[in-house]
Amino acid sequence: MSVARHDGRWFRREISAGGFAFFMNLPTMLCLALVLAYPVIYAGYLSVHRVGLAQLRRGEFPFNGFDNFERLFEDRLFWVALKNTFIFTFITVGAEVILAVLIALLINQSSIWTSRVTRFLILLPYAIPPIANGLIWSFIYSFQFGFLNRILFSAGVITEPINWAGNPETALYAVTVPYIWRTLPFAILLVHAALQGIPRELYEQAAVDGATAWQRFWRITLPLLRPIIAVILILRTSFAFAVFEEILAITQGGPGDATWVAAWYSYKVTFSPPNNFGMGSASAYVLALLIGAMALIYVRFVYRRVTL
Amino acid sequence: MTQDVIGKWELSRRRVLGGAAAAAGLGSFGSGPAALAQTAGPWSQAPRSKVDRLNFVVWTYGDIYSRIAKQFETDWGVKVDTTISSFNDHPTKLTTMFAAGEKIDVSQSSPFSFPNFIEQGLVEPIDDLPGAAEYIKDFSNFTKQVATYKGKTMGLPYFAAVWVWNYYGEMLEKLKIDKPFATYEEFIEHCLKAKKDGVSRYPVLWVAGVGLEQLPGTWYQMTWNRGGVFFDKQGNHMLGDGSIARETLKFWANTFEKGLDISDPESLKVQFTTSAKAFGAGKNLYRGPNHHYGLNVANDPAQSPIAGKVKVHGSPGDGKTIGVTHVYFLSSATRDKEWGWKLLQYLGGRTKDGNYTQAVGLAKDAMLGSGYNSVMNSDAVKQGWAPWGDVPAILKMWDQAAYIGEVCSSVYQPWHFPWTDQVNIEVQKTLTGQITADQCCDNLIKGIADAKRKI
Repeated sequence: MSVARHDGRWFRREISAGGFAFFMNLPTMLCLALVLAYPVIYAGYLSVHRVGLAQLRRGEFPFNGFDNFERLFEDRLFWVALKNTFIFTFITVGAEVILAVLIALLINQSSIWTSRVTRFLILLPYAIPPIANGLIWSFIYSFQFGFLNRILFSAGVITEPINWAGNPETALYAVTVPYIWRTLPFAILLVHAALQGIPRELYEQAAVDGATAWQRFWRITLPLLRPIIAVILILRTSFAFAVFEEILAITQGGPGDATWVAAWYSYKVTFSPPNNFGMGSASAYVLALLIGAMALIYVRFVYRRVTL
Repeated sequence: MTQDVIGKWELSRRRVLGGAAAAAGLGSFGSGPAALAQTAGPWSQAPRSKVDRLNFVVWTYGDIYSRIAKQFETDWGVKVDTTISSFNDHPTKLTTMFAAGEKIDVSQSSPFSFPNFIEQGLVEPIDDLPGAAEYIKDFSNFTKQVATYKGKTMGLPYFAAVWVWNYYGEMLEKLKIDKPFATYEEFIEHCLKAKKDGVSRYPVLWVAGVGLEQLPGTWYQMTWNRGGVFFDKQGNHMLGDGSIARETLKFWANTFEKGLDISDPESLKVQFTTSAKAFGAGKNLYRGPNHHYGLNVANDPAQSPIAGKVKVHGSPGDGKTIGVTHVYFLSSATRDKEWGWKLLQYLGGRTKDGNYTQAVGLAKDAMLGSGYNSVMNSDAVKQGWAPWGDVPAILKMWDQAAYIGEVCSSVYQPWHFPWTDQVNIEVQKTLTGQITADQCCDNLIKGIADAKRKI
């Protein structure tokens, strides 16, 4: 690769591979810096300043140190939201990984006929906008008129309708189902792609050695899926930590504080009067740090480099 | 807004004459719609400045905004852009637009958000604007209380409503009960009978969804009806042991699953209109107390299988109830104060022809009350509301209604909004049996200080 100067003194010189890589990545880095880094840094700036509507409008933000973080940690509702977020994330991510592996194994079987229609239907939920998904499920969960209670009642499973989204004991779990339903296809896709990358010879050799189906799964498939499972865990955890739309559409945090999650908390603090953007940014930062910590844990304990 | 813009409003001879004519006209307001129209007045004069377009940021209500925007464009040749969101999302939409430095000419507010908007600098006073004095003279008592802040007039009325009960007449007949409840004890008796007879599994549908005046409004109303308030005139809370608000909450919570189990569990999700639609399914005996105009949905054959059978009912005892007015306001982020004021009048005052077009239209089409005495006394209300309910009965309740601020004076404070967030959470926890009414009130007392610190 050569670079020419335009000042009339033309000469040619080779640039290093590292320099070339930097040069080629520069546009992406600039875009990421503008689109991701700037807002993140700006939010960090806001989190240590007093920022309300009037300050935003004037562009003057009095520095208030860690006041926003102190008030955040003193707020009982923040801890409730955090606890609910952990429960929500644990359930949804756990269920997604298990179901994704099971379904991907199923559709990866050459002996099982999966039509294009079936594959399309598996992918369909991922194409539904989250807020629409939430609204669909709020109808499904409706106490007196919802499909779920009607089906269960018709099947004789229940004799009285269940208030799925309106009962504090079931509401948080009720919200996990639409979320899993919507996001599962993404995990299936990743696992399915990873499964197709596993050489068939490994299974053939294992079969010759007399390995059972379970042994083949446990000794071959699962170890080779670890990198992709780590990726799914990191991605799905970060998204589950930031769940918002289903909460907005189905429960709006209720009943009481039963479904207040971290992103809902940040939203309410920031965008409801008195519009405390500083404290909202602080809570979002705490959330981001937690997600980062979870990602590190996954990489440390789940991720393994695979060499075939 | 700066003084230089205000300075453009020089009092011309023509404007003075127009204003005088309008003031004289107000004196002749009677009961006929013709009396509402005042063709000569500041509302019929074009501002001197020029604008290409204007905008308003409002919450959704049918097609009223597209209609009024079109009328403004036709009358003045200025395009009006609309930003419309749901009622609960409106404060978020408005404040983010304001924070982002966008132009906002006119917007609206519930009385609960209004002090906050004013304190944060979103709202422009209107006292000195041409024709404002005439509007102020015509303000109802509710409107005066909402629109006046620290001695300045900050808005024009959008609509007014009072809290009433509804009952399903046919179900009451089926229960062989000759008239709806006159006391809270009777209310419980009727509900228990309806449940016992298998006529209704959940005889009462409350409006207890999360919101500024849905769940809190129900509690405010019943507390006021029983003779209580949430804060005294000095601003001290009235939620302590033995307080009427606390006892009312105990009564209310006892109607839910862990008590008498007569309350529809959907109560905790429904808002104003959705509760009226749900009631229209004919599964409940009573609904309320909530905004009177729910009848417009529950008795609409297109929306309700029991249309025509939903009746309005007053509150027990002396019938004391509460009312509210929502307002439109001129934004401090307006691109042109003269034109912003002109647009504000189209939404909350008179159109070019001198009519209260929007207020009259809302009364006729949507059963909404008005924040203007002249409209409330007109045929627009008497005839417009008639298809949906017993107008004299509702107007009688109107006369017995106190502004919500008398019950809960914190509505005048910027900290009311964050405190209401806590009210929603704690009361829902009480109604679902997670905490007791005593714990709820104790938490809310502590929450007052927290809410003040959030400002």
